[in-house]
Amino acid sequence: MTKNKNLILVTNDTLVEKINKECQESSNTFLFPIENFCVGIPKTFKLEEITEESLIFINRLLDKDGIENFKVLLKNLPKNIKGIVFDDIGILNILLETKSTLTKILFLNHANCNYESINAFLEYVDSVVISTDITTEETKEILKRAKKPLVVYAFGHVAIMYSRRTLLSNYNKHFKTNIDNEITLKEGISKEEVKAIENIYGTVIYTNNPFNNLKLRKEDNILYNLINSVYLHDEEVISIINSESDMSDTYPYKYLSEEETIYRIKEEKI
Amino acid sequence: MIELLAPAGNLERLKIAFLYGADACYIGGYRFSLRANAINFSNSELKEACEFAHNLGKRVYVTVNIVLHNKDLEGLKEYLEELASIGVDAVIVSDIAVIKMIKDNNIPLEAHISTQASTLNAEAAMFYKKVGATRVVLAREASREDIKDIKDKTGLDLECFAQGAMCTSFSGKCVLSNVFTNRDANRGGCAQICRWTFDIADEKEPFSMTPKDLNMARYIEDMIDIGVNSFKIEGRMRSVYYIATIISEYRKIIDKIKMHNLKPSDILYSNDIMNRCANRESTPQFYDKFPGEEEQYYLGREEVSNQDFLGIVLDSNENEILLEQRNYFKIGDVVEFFGPNMEPFTYTITKIYNENHENIDIARHPRMLTYLSDLPKMSKGTMMRLKVFDKNDYL
Repeated sequence: MTKNKNLILVTNDTLVEKINKECQESSNTFLFPIENFCVGIPKTFKLEEITEESLIFINRLLDKDGIENFKVLLKNLPKNIKGIVFDDIGILNILLETKSTLTKILFLNHANCNYESINAFLEYVDSVVISTDITTEETKEILKRAKKPLVVYAFGHVAIMYSRRTLLSNYNKHFKTNIDNEITLKEGISKEEVKAIENIYGTVIYTNNPFNNLKLRKEDNILYNLINSVYLHDEEVISIINSESDMSDTYPYKYLSEEETIYRIKEEKI
Repeated sequence: MIELLAPAGNLERLKIAFLYGADACYIGGYRFSLRANAINFSNSELKEACEFAHNLGKRVYVTVNIVLHNKDLEGLKEYLEELASIGVDAVIVSDIAVIKMIKDNNIPLEAHISTQASTLNAEAAMFYKKVGATRVVLAREASREDIKDIKDKTGLDLECFAQGAMCTSFSGKCVLSNVFTNRDANRGGCAQICRWTFDIADEKEPFSMTPKDLNMARYIEDMIDIGVNSFKIEGRMRSVYYIATIISEYRKIIDKIKMHNLKPSDILYSNDIMNRCANRESTPQFYDKFPGEEEQYYLGREEVSNQDFLGIVLDSNENEILLEQRNYFKIGDVVEFFGPNMEPFTYTITKIYNENHENIDIARHPRMLTYLSDLPKMSKGTMMRLKVFDKNDYL
C-alpha cells in the first residue's frame, strides 16, 4: 500500500518527538513556522531550533522591511532546511532571482482555485497548495490536470481571515480590557464560533472546527497531505497520521468542500 | 501621468464620474467581476462606456478580478477577446490564469494587478512585471516607505486607493463571507461579515473589527512626489451623488497641486464635504503610521445617514433650471450647487415650481420634477445639496 506523505505544520515543542516515536510507519515531513515571518500561529521557531531535515513556513505578507529580512534569512538557512512553503509572491521572485535550490511550494491562501492558475505557477515552483475554498470535485479535477504533484490541505483549522491590524489589542485598548491574544468569537445572531489569534504582524481568524479533508489523501498526483496542527492536541495529530480511515465520525466538519459557494445574484444579460 | 480613477457601477455613474473630472473609470462586466451585486455592464454597455470615455480622451478599465474556479475558465478567453475588440484600455486581474491567457493568446489588453493580490513589496511587484503586468494596484496596507520602495525598484505604474471603504482583512485573504453565508467573497459575493459584531466569553462589550474609511486627501501631493500614478476611489456600488462629490473634491485637490496652489484649508474643507457624503469617518490608515485603536469602529456599522443630496439638474436655460428631486427640500432652504467645471455657489430657495409650472412650497416626492428660477445656466448633471459647510469658514 502507498504510504501517505504527510507534511505536518509544527506549532509546539513536543509534536516532533512524539510523531518520530509513534508514527514510524508513515512518511512525515515537518514544516516549521519561522519566527517573525508568520501570523496566526501560537508557536514559531528560530532556525537554530530546527534540527530535523525540514521545510520552513512563511505565511506573512511581507512589507519592505519584511522582504529585506527574508533575504537575510535565506542567506543564513542551514543545510537541513530543504524547502519553503510561502504565501508572498515577493518570496517567489527572490527564490527565482537567487536560483535557489530549495523545494518551493506556493501556498497562496484563498487563491489557486483552478488548474490553469496552478499550472501557471508550476512553471516557477515545485508544487502548490490547492485552495481549501473549493469543492471536493473541483480539487479532484485540479489534481487530475496539474502538471506536477500538488499539496492537499488534508486536515486542520482553516485560516479564514488575515488582517494586518492588531484587532485584539485594539479591543483591549478601547474597552480597557485584558483579553488574551487567542480567543473565541461568537457571532451575535447565528452563534457560530470562530477562533482569533494575534501577534505584532496581524490577526488571523480560524474556523472553530478542523476541516477534515482526509478523504482525498489517497488521490493520485499528491506530493504531500498537509496537516495543520494549530489548535490540535499532539494525540489528535498522531491519530490522524496513523489512521487509514477518513475519520469523518470523529471530525465531521467539511468546511466548503461539499457545497459550492454562490456569488452571482443577478441574471446575466449579454 | 497623474490619474484620478473613479468607480462606476453603471453607465449613468460612469458618465457622472467623467463629467466631474475622473481621468479613468473602472467597471465590471457581467462575469468575472468582484462586485457581483453592482448593476454592472453588458457588452453593449461596455462598448458605449468605452466610446464615451475615448471621445473625452479618457480611459476605461474592466475588472476581471475574481478568483477563478475551474468552471469559471469557460468563456474567459472569448470574454477577454471581446473586451479587447470593444476597446477596453486595461483589465484589472488577480488570478495569474488571466494574465497567462492574455499573453499566450496575444490578446491586446493591458493587465493591471488587482489589490486582491495584496502586493506590499517590490519583489512581488517585480514578479508581476515579469509576467506581463503594466500596473500594480497596491495593497491598502502599503505604507509610504513600501510604496516608494516599490516605485524606485520596479518603475511600474502604481495605483493606490485614495478614498473609500477598507476591508479589515488583506484583500483576497478573507473568506468569512463564504463560511458564514456561503457567499463567495473572492468571486464578488462578499457579505461584509467584518462589519458584524461578535461576542467574547465573559466580556460585556461586543467585538467588532470594522475599519474607518480611507482618506488620503492630505497626502496626495506626497504620493505624487514618491511616484504614485493613479489615485483610485473605492465604490462601484456607490451612488451618483457620492461619485460626483468625491471625484470633484479630488479633482480640485489634484489640479491645485499641479498649479502649486493647494492650501491646507482646501483639504480641510474637502474632507468635511467628503466625510459627510460618505456618512463615515475617514483616515489615512496605513500610509503614515500603523493603524491602531483610533482607525476602527467598535460597534459594527457606524454610519450616520443624511439627506443632503436634494436634486440633479436635467436641463437649464438663462432663467431657470429643471431639477429632478432626490430628497425633500422647501422654500427657505439654503442650498449649494456643485457641478462640472464650476465653482460651487450658494442659493436660497425662494420659489419652487412643479412640472406644470405651478407654485409649490415643498418638493416632497421622490424624483419629482421641479423648476427653480433666478439661477445661472448650468450643465446637465449639476447637483444641488443642502449647504452644510461654508468655504469662507476655512480661510
